[in-house]
Amino acid sequence: MHVLTSHPGVFAHGLLVTLHLSAATFLLAAAVGLLLAVCRICPVRPLRLFAALYVSAVRGVPLLVLLTLFVFGLPEIGVVYSLFWTVVTAMGLYWAAFLCETVRAGVRSVPPGQTEAARALGLTFGQVLRCVVVPQALRATVQPLASLLIAVVLNSSLAAAVGVTQELTGQTVLLDQRYAQPLFTFAAAAACYVLLTLAIGRTAAVLERRLAVLR
Amino acid sequence: MLSTVRGRRRAPLAAAAAAAALVLASACSGSSDTVVPGAPAAAGKKADTSAIDRLIADEKPASASLMPAGSTAAKIKEAGTLVVGGTQTAALFSQLDPTTGKVEGFDAALSRLLAKYIIGKPDTKLVNVTAATREALLKNHSVDAVIATYTITDERAKAVNFAGPYYVDGLGIQLREDQKGIASLDDLKGRTVTTQSGSTAAAVVEERVPSAKIQLFDTNTECLQALRQGRADAYVLDQGVLAGNAGTHPDVKVVAGTYGEQPYGIGLPLDRPDFKTFVNDWLRKIEADGTWATLWKNTIGTQVPGPVPTPPAIG
Amino acid sequence: MTSSLREPRTEHLYGEDAYPDRPPRARSGTTAAGRGTRQRLPHRLSAALDHIDGDDLRLFDEPGPRARRRAAVLTAASLVLFTALLAWVLRQFAAHGQLDPAKWRLFGQWPVLRYLLDSLAATVQVTLVSGAIALPLGILLALARLSGTGWLSRPAATYVEVLRAVPLLLLVYAFLLGLPAAGLRLPLFWQLVWPIALTNAAVFAEIFRAAVRALPAGQREAALALGFGHAQTLRLVLLPQAAQQSAPALVSQSVRLLKDSTLGYVVSFLELLNAAKVLGEFNHTVIQSYLVVALVFVVVNGALAHGAARLERRPAGRRTTARAARPPG
Repeated sequence: MHVLTSHPGVFAHGLLVTLHLSAATFLLAAAVGLLLAVCRICPVRPLRLFAALYVSAVRGVPLLVLLTLFVFGLPEIGVVYSLFWTVVTAMGLYWAAFLCETVRAGVRSVPPGQTEAARALGLTFGQVLRCVVVPQALRATVQPLASLLIAVVLNSSLAAAVGVTQELTGQTVLLDQRYAQPLFTFAAAAACYVLLTLAIGRTAAVLERRLAVLR
Repeated sequence: MLSTVRGRRRAPLAAAAAAAALVLASACSGSSDTVVPGAPAAAGKKADTSAIDRLIADEKPASASLMPAGSTAAKIKEAGTLVVGGTQTAALFSQLDPTTGKVEGFDAALSRLLAKYIIGKPDTKLVNVTAATREALLKNHSVDAVIATYTITDERAKAVNFAGPYYVDGLGIQLREDQKGIASLDDLKGRTVTTQSGSTAAAVVEERVPSAKIQLFDTNTECLQALRQGRADAYVLDQGVLAGNAGTHPDVKVVAGTYGEQPYGIGLPLDRPDFKTFVNDWLRKIEADGTWATLWKNTIGTQVPGPVPTPPAIG
Repeated sequence: MTSSLREPRTEHLYGEDAYPDRPPRARSGTTAAGRGTRQRLPHRLSAALDHIDGDDLRLFDEPGPRARRRAAVLTAASLVLFTALLAWVLRQFAAHGQLDPAKWRLFGQWPVLRYLLDSLAATVQVTLVSGAIALPLGILLALARLSGTGWLSRPAATYVEVLRAVPLLLLVYAFLLGLPAAGLRLPLFWQLVWPIALTNAAVFAEIFRAAVRALPAGQREAALALGFGHAQTLRLVLLPQAAQQSAPALVSQSVRLLKDSTLGYVVSFLELLNAAKVLGEFNHTVIQSYLVVALVFVVVNGALAHGAARLERRPAGRRTTARAARPPG
C-alpha cells in the first residue's frame, strides 16, 4: 500500500496526462468526424466516396497498428513532430471514423417525415440541418458520444505502448517495475479508470435529460 | 468500441479493392528465393555463421552424471527443446533473419550451444522478451533461461538467478552520423535521450544527467528509430547493442568510451538453484576451451574493434 | 430507426439519374444501340459507387441548375484536392527513397510471405481462442444479470461494468507483471488470450442482454401467461430470439477481438504487428511493413464486417416476408 501513499503525485500526473491526451484526441476526432459526416451526406460524389472509404478502412485497422504507423512509419517519409501530438493525430484520425458513424446514426434517427416536412416548407439544406435535424439528432447522440469518449479515454492507454509512458497505464507499469507491488498499483490504476468512466457516464445522463427538456 | 452495424455494409468493396491491390503488388514481383534486398547491403561485415555452426557441431553433450534424474537440466533434455527468452532485433547479439528463420548473434549462438550441451542437439525455441517482461516470464517458467543482454543487478538478482557473467559491456552513446557536439554523458544535459524502459541505462542517465529528458521505448528497434528519425538527440544503451545497430544502420555511429560496467548474466528461475550451478559450470568450460573466444570473434568482434577480451570470471 | 431506411436505395438522389424516366438528351450521330451501351455503363458505375458511398439520406431537394453547378465545382475542387494530397504523399515517399521497388518487392517473396502468414495464423489463433472463451462466458454473465436473483445478478453486473471501464492494455500488463508475483503461471499465449477474453466477455454480455431486453414485452408476458417459469421463458422463448437478433452484433464484435490481438506487440507475442516490427527492422522497411499489415487487417476485417452485414439483412428480410404474408387489417 505504501507505493500508493508515497507516490500519489505519480498517479495524479499520469491521470492528468491521460485526460490531456483524451481531450485533445476527442476534440480532433470531433472536428474530423463531423467533417467526414458532412462529406458522407453532401451532394459531392468524390467527397462522399472518400469519406465512405476512409471510414470503412480506418475501422478495420487496429488502433495500435495506426499508432505504430504514425509514430515509427511517418518519420521514414520525413514527417516528424512531437511524440505526444503524433499520438494525438493517430488517435484523433482513428476515432473520427467512429464519430462520423455515430453522428450519421444520430441524423438517421430523425424520422424521414421530419426532413420531408421541412423541405416541403421550403427550408434549404442548411436550414433543414440547423433547425430540424441537428436539435433532434443531438439528443440521440449524447449517449453514443459518451460511449465514444469512454472508449477514447480507455484506449488512450495504448499511447504507453508507443512511448508516451507519462500517461496512467505507463506510469502504473513503471511504478510496478520499481516497487514490485502489482496488486495495489494495478488496482489503483483500474479504480482511476472506473471513476473516469463513471463520471463521463453520469455527465452524459444529466446532459441527455437537459436536452430532452429542450425538445 | 461502439459499432453501429449499419454502414459496415460498404466495407466489402473497400476490402475487395485492397485485396486487389495486394494481389497486384505480389504479382509484380518475382517469387525468387534470393536474399532479402536492402538488408545485407547495409549490414556491412556479416558475422561468420559457418564458424559458429562448426562450434555448435563440436560442442559435446554433458555427461549423464552432470544431469541426475529430476534435475532441471534433465527435465529440459526430456522436453527436447531449450526455451530461451531473447529478442529478434538486437544485431550482433540476437537478430532474426525472417527469410531463413535463423536467429544470429552472440546470445543466440550461446543459447544453441547450451541446448546442444544439455539435449545433444541445438534445438532452441526463442520467446520474445523485453526489459519489462523478462523477470515475469522467468518467474512463471514460460522460458527456461533468458539470454538477452541481461545486465546483472542486485535488484534483479532478488527476482531471478543469474548465471555468469558471460560478457561485460559498458553503456555507450549512439548518435546520428551527422551529429556533432556530443562526446560524453555530460554533453547530454538538457537534451532528449532515448533508452529502453526497464533498462539499467535509464537509471544511470537519470542519476548522472538529471537535466536530460528521457524518452522510453520498449525495444531496441523503437529506440533506434527514435534516434534516426530525430525524435531523440542520443540513444544510451549497452555499447555492444549500439555497435550492432551501427553495423546494420550506416546512418548512426557510436561515441567512443563506455560508462560503468554492464555484466551480462543468463537469467534463470529463482526456484531452480541446481540449474544455476549447472550453467555456471558450463560457462567456465566454454571460456576455458576457447569456444567463448571464437564466438566473440565471429559475432561482437565483427563490429567492436580490438583483440578478443578476457572473458569475465564466473560467479 | 425504421427498417425502410436500412434497405440500400437503388435510385440515385442527386443529379440527372434521379429521373430515370426522363428521355435521354438527344445526341447527334449516335445509333439507338450505341446510345444504349453508353448510357448503361456510367449508370452501372454510378450504381456501384452508390453501393460504396451509400447516400441514404434525403436531406435535399432535387438540385436545381444552380445547385448542380455548385456541386460540379465542388466535385472538381475536391478531385483536385485529393490528387494534390496523393501527389504530396507520393513525393514524400519518393523523396525519402521509400518507393524503391526493392523495398516493396520484398512482400512478394515466399519466405517473407510465409513469415507474415505464420504470424497471421497466430493472430487468428488468439482471436478464435479468446472468442471461444468470451462468448460462453458473456452469455453466462448476461443470464446471471437477467436472472433477477440478487446474489447472481449483482456480481455479474459489477464484473461487466468494471471490465468495460478498464483499458485492455492495463489488464494485459496486470496479467503479465501481476500474476507471476501472485504465484500464478501462464504461458505467454494465455497471458494475452485471458485479458482479451475477459474484457470481451463483458462486452458480449452487454450485447446479449440488450438483445433480450429489446424483445417485445408481449413475448415474455405471453410465455408467463402460458404458465412458463422464469427459466423456461428464458430458454424457450427469449434466448432463441435474442441469439438471432444479436448475431450481427456478435460478428461485428469479432472485428474488435481481432484488433485486440495486436496487443501481442506489447507482450512480445509474435502476432502480425509484432512480425511487422521484426521484418521492418531487419529489412529497413519500417513504413512498408506497417502499411502491409494495416492492409491485411483492413481486408480481413472488411470480410468480417461484410459477414455481419449479411447476417443483419437476413433476419430482417424474413420478418418482412412474414409481415407481408399476414392478411391486411
